[in-house]
Amino acid sequence: MIHFSQVTKRYPGGHEALSGVNLSIEQGELVFLTGHSGAGKSTLLKLIAAIERPTSGSLTVSGQNISRLPSRAVPYLRRNIGLVFQDHKLLFDRSAIENVVLPLDIAGFDRRESLKRARAVIDKVGLLNREKANPISLSGGEQQRLCIARALVSRPALLLADEPTGNLDAGYAADIMSMFRDFHRVGTTLLIATHDDRAISALGGRILQLDHGKIEAPSA
Amino acid sequence: MMAWLQHQKHALTSSLRRLAAQPVATLLTALAMGVAISLPGGLYLVLGNLNQLAGNLPAQPEISVFLDADISKAQQQAIAARLKQADIAHARHVPKDEALAALSASQDLSDITAGLTQNPLPDAWVAQPQDTSRESLARVSDELKKLPGVAETHLDSQWADRLQAALAIGRTGVWVLAGLFAIALLAISGNAIRAQVLSRRDEIHVSRLIGATNRYIRRPFLYLGALQGLLGGMAAGGVLAIAGWMLHAPVENLASLYGSAFQLLPPSITEIVLVLGLTTIFGWLGAWISVNRTLSQVEATR
Repeated sequence: MIHFSQVTKRYPGGHEALSGVNLSIEQGELVFLTGHSGAGKSTLLKLIAAIERPTSGSLTVSGQNISRLPSRAVPYLRRNIGLVFQDHKLLFDRSAIENVVLPLDIAGFDRRESLKRARAVIDKVGLLNREKANPISLSGGEQQRLCIARALVSRPALLLADEPTGNLDAGYAADIMSMFRDFHRVGTTLLIATHDDRAISALGGRILQLDHGKIEAPSA
Repeated sequence: MMAWLQHQKHALTSSLRRLAAQPVATLLTALAMGVAISLPGGLYLVLGNLNQLAGNLPAQPEISVFLDADISKAQQQAIAARLKQADIAHARHVPKDEALAALSASQDLSDITAGLTQNPLPDAWVAQPQDTSRESLARVSDELKKLPGVAETHLDSQWADRLQAALAIGRTGVWVLAGLFAIALLAISGNAIRAQVLSRRDEIHVSRLIGATNRYIRRPFLYLGALQGLLGGMAAGGVLAIAGWMLHAPVENLASLYGSAFQLLPPSITEIVLVLGLTTIFGWLGAWISVNRTLSQVEATR
């Protein structure tokens, strides 16, 4: 599903975030991406979602070559990828359910159908009684679950999560991780950047260790 | 197709909600646009009314033909015969005694005419030509002037020509003003939309990350611009309606002093629809220019 071949990413100013990365992730895999901060975990996720473009090398996602993808095709690529952010990136000018409905609005779904689907996903992450609340009134763990609901509402084949439990205490983190395990079981491909070792050992799955922009151990 | 309609509907309702959520800002923008549009719009209405006034005047221009004091009988007959030809619709002989009597009858001049020892006025004809175009009037007038026994001819339509020429300048002025204020409209709309884009950077950023196209992001702002233009056009209508209501009584008062039944003309439905359509288009256009510029700035800062 995802293939990196000799991918290098150099930011303007010369900092090389990834150097010569080779990597393959198959459909339905659960993969953890670990490493110290600044090792290139976020950059790797950004490349897959075409938020950044590789400086050299070739990267294909769902059969599409990211290096050569025209920018007008990028939105359609992203509609098949669910993104979970450490800082949630929720919009505080609308209710929880409106945040979750946004990807479906963007894809042009019928409004009533969208709301039905959004409510089902919100139920799955355990926030159904808070659907009308403004996300700013939710706790950190609840905000993260809402962000996951938004990432999953369009039923993407691939979920990318960047430090999804980074700001949460252990109880909430375990919650979130067990949620990810459920999605993995129904066939979603998951790529999770984290340095939460307990979560990794609880879920199993492949571990990729990044060190200064290089893959240390291709599998574990 | 369904998705497209869904998008349009969504963009329109979200724009309407945004306008309603900021009533003061919406009102101020609409007022700024309204005042800008009401200037050329008002001038246009004033010209329309002046044109109506010019049209109400006796339309038939007349040529006055003044005869020499020592004119011979034969010359008199030749002139009378010329004035019976086909290019003259109607001609009336005004003997000098009748002219003096008419002059004495008017209040202000009776003192002067009473002091005269003899009648200084010439005999005259007043002729209405068949063809009242300016060129033809001038030609007939020239021709009559060359007849033996004619001292002078005078074209009574001159001031109407001058009014028409002044109105033509005014009409050009309307277009110049309309052009200038269309630019002002673009600027006002563009500025309002720019503020909107900047205040919604988070939403734009998040929407991009979850697969929004450029069009999806632009659309609500374009609707916003068009709606704001429409509101601006309506505000201009309001400004002009108030001005018309205030001018209504004094204008009728002035007209009645001149013995005229002149009334202020309101704009026609077509004109109103046209102005609202144009302001909507210019609001949209201003938004389009602004949203493209501002979006590229917003994205560059990420």
